[in-house]
Amino acid sequence: MMRLAAPLLAAMALSVAPSQASAPTTPLRIATLTEEAAPCAPLAADAPAGERAYFALLSRRLERQVLSCPMASRAAAAAALASGGADLAVLDAASFRPVATTTRSILTVRPKDQFSRIAVVVAVRADDERRTLADLRGAAVAFGGANRSYYDRPLRALADQGVGEGYFRTHVKAASAEEALEMLRDGKVDVLALHAGAWRQVCLKVKGKSRCDELRVAWRGRPRATLAIVAPNTMPLETRYRLIGVHVAMHQEAPSAFAWASAWMPNGAEFEPTESDALILTSSAAPR
Amino acid sequence: MKTLHIRALTLALTGAAIAVGSTLGGCERKSELSGWRAEMKEVRFAMMASEEDPTLTRKLDLYKDYFARATGLPVRLYEASDYNGKIQAISSGQVDITLLASASYANVDAQIGELAKPILTVRRADGELGYYSMFLVRADSPYHELADLKGKTMGYVDLNSTSGYLYPRAKMRKEGIDPDTFFGKVAIAGGHTQAIMALENGQFDATVINVGGGDPVAGFTTGAQFTMARRGLVKLEDFRPVWTVGPIATTAVVVRSDRPQAFIDLMRGAMAALPYDEPETWEGGGQTDGTTLTSVDREHYREVIDLRHEELVRRRTGASAGPASS
Repeated sequence: MMRLAAPLLAAMALSVAPSQASAPTTPLRIATLTEEAAPCAPLAADAPAGERAYFALLSRRLERQVLSCPMASRAAAAAALASGGADLAVLDAASFRPVATTTRSILTVRPKDQFSRIAVVVAVRADDERRTLADLRGAAVAFGGANRSYYDRPLRALADQGVGEGYFRTHVKAASAEEALEMLRDGKVDVLALHAGAWRQVCLKVKGKSRCDELRVAWRGRPRATLAIVAPNTMPLETRYRLIGVHVAMHQEAPSAFAWASAWMPNGAEFEPTESDALILTSSAAPR
Repeated sequence: MKTLHIRALTLALTGAAIAVGSTLGGCERKSELSGWRAEMKEVRFAMMASEEDPTLTRKLDLYKDYFARATGLPVRLYEASDYNGKIQAISSGQVDITLLASASYANVDAQIGELAKPILTVRRADGELGYYSMFLVRADSPYHELADLKGKTMGYVDLNSTSGYLYPRAKMRKEGIDPDTFFGKVAIAGGHTQAIMALENGQFDATVINVGGGDPVAGFTTGAQFTMARRGLVKLEDFRPVWTVGPIATTAVVVRSDRPQAFIDLMRGAMAALPYDEPETWEGGGQTDGTTLTSVDREHYREVIDLRHEELVRRRTGASAGPASS
């Protein structure tokens, strides 16, 4: 995850590099998966209606020509992004890994039956000597909450980390996040797994004190995106933000374009922004 | 509602209920601006002042810095002293973008229609897009349910408040209670903080405020009483909820649609990306960890637009009204 710990530094960096904020006028080149690779070119007139709607929308809103760059594989698309031969491509984790230092994820699609990719927190008592997810194999874990978001999110994020069924000794679904917290504090379980919103809720500070003061975050991370739209790191900030602005509203403003552009994620509800490394597993603790 | 409470330098303008805050320089000098930036010259953002949070100046700076970096333009904050200040600022075109509670957006919609465009709202961690109205009484009072408040003194937040006026009154009517005759006396506090303080001081028997960060089953974590409790101004246990209604469509980021499309797209993208790009700024600016922004349009606020229309007609004529939205 890209964490700009010092916004001021970023502001200074931008103030001496104003071109970073400006959008280019050169064509936007979108890598598209086809059986045979071909040079970037304007979309063919007989392209599917949704694809034509998508390209037309981006061209109109970005005030640039948009070209289609047929690629034979996601790996080829990734290589094109890294070498300056394309500006956008849908990649998976395997194709992203070789270009992770020169490209970044910018958007993914949230399926209708899934939640946003918000962070999950795994906490232990502060005096517990187990410090990582790997240390917690065989521990007793409590989840808790009023609806399925309290279980599904932690389970999915943990599954990405290889923490699946049988990893923990016992698996308690408490009636609420508060109850799960008390189970940890009382020593009835070893681990608490909550999504970030529930963690914030139970750890609310009142007069500077929180019931989580005697806990420690052993792991924190988002579920990994399975597929994401990826762009070169050199993409100007303005272009990235405008692309995100157009995409997140696409399901409302241009449904046919959305249907084509999100077809790589079945049952897509909407585009959502991502952190830069959404396709990579975050394996270390990130206490906050 | 999750309002971004921002305090700029208070320079009250006579008759405008708006104060002009400081600007933060963007990346380009005004004389060098081109394209949509030359048309915009600066970003004018209206926020509502609140005295309940001592960290407002820091939050203000975080957002101004982020928007300046995102747009490459100076950001000018306009501080509104009340709901109407923001409503008039966006309706008149004095500002380009603001955050409006749904009833305030409904007010703007009635004034300028499609010139005001809701573009984003907060999605809670559990996927919900709403918040709640909570009727509060003092814990040491004899009132335990809404019926106990008949003939008592009710303090609403503001006539333009969704959770503190419009929505709870509509829900009372649906329960067969006429809010105009049910209470013995009503008053307007002027804000959520003021409403809590007036309740604490015994000026009201009850008030109705917004709460969020949870639901009636799991409990709530955000709202004026939580912020005030963290500051030691009140104790949460001093109050008792007697009725909770909702969810209500959450605060909208509203932009003037007559601004350049590039600006609208950029602001929508930059704001939506904030929880992912800079989670520290997102939380530091007062948002709850786990929340994100999602795209909305006018349809999302149709219920509140219609409720406000009904409320206005009742206020003016006492008659029932048809829906306002089309």
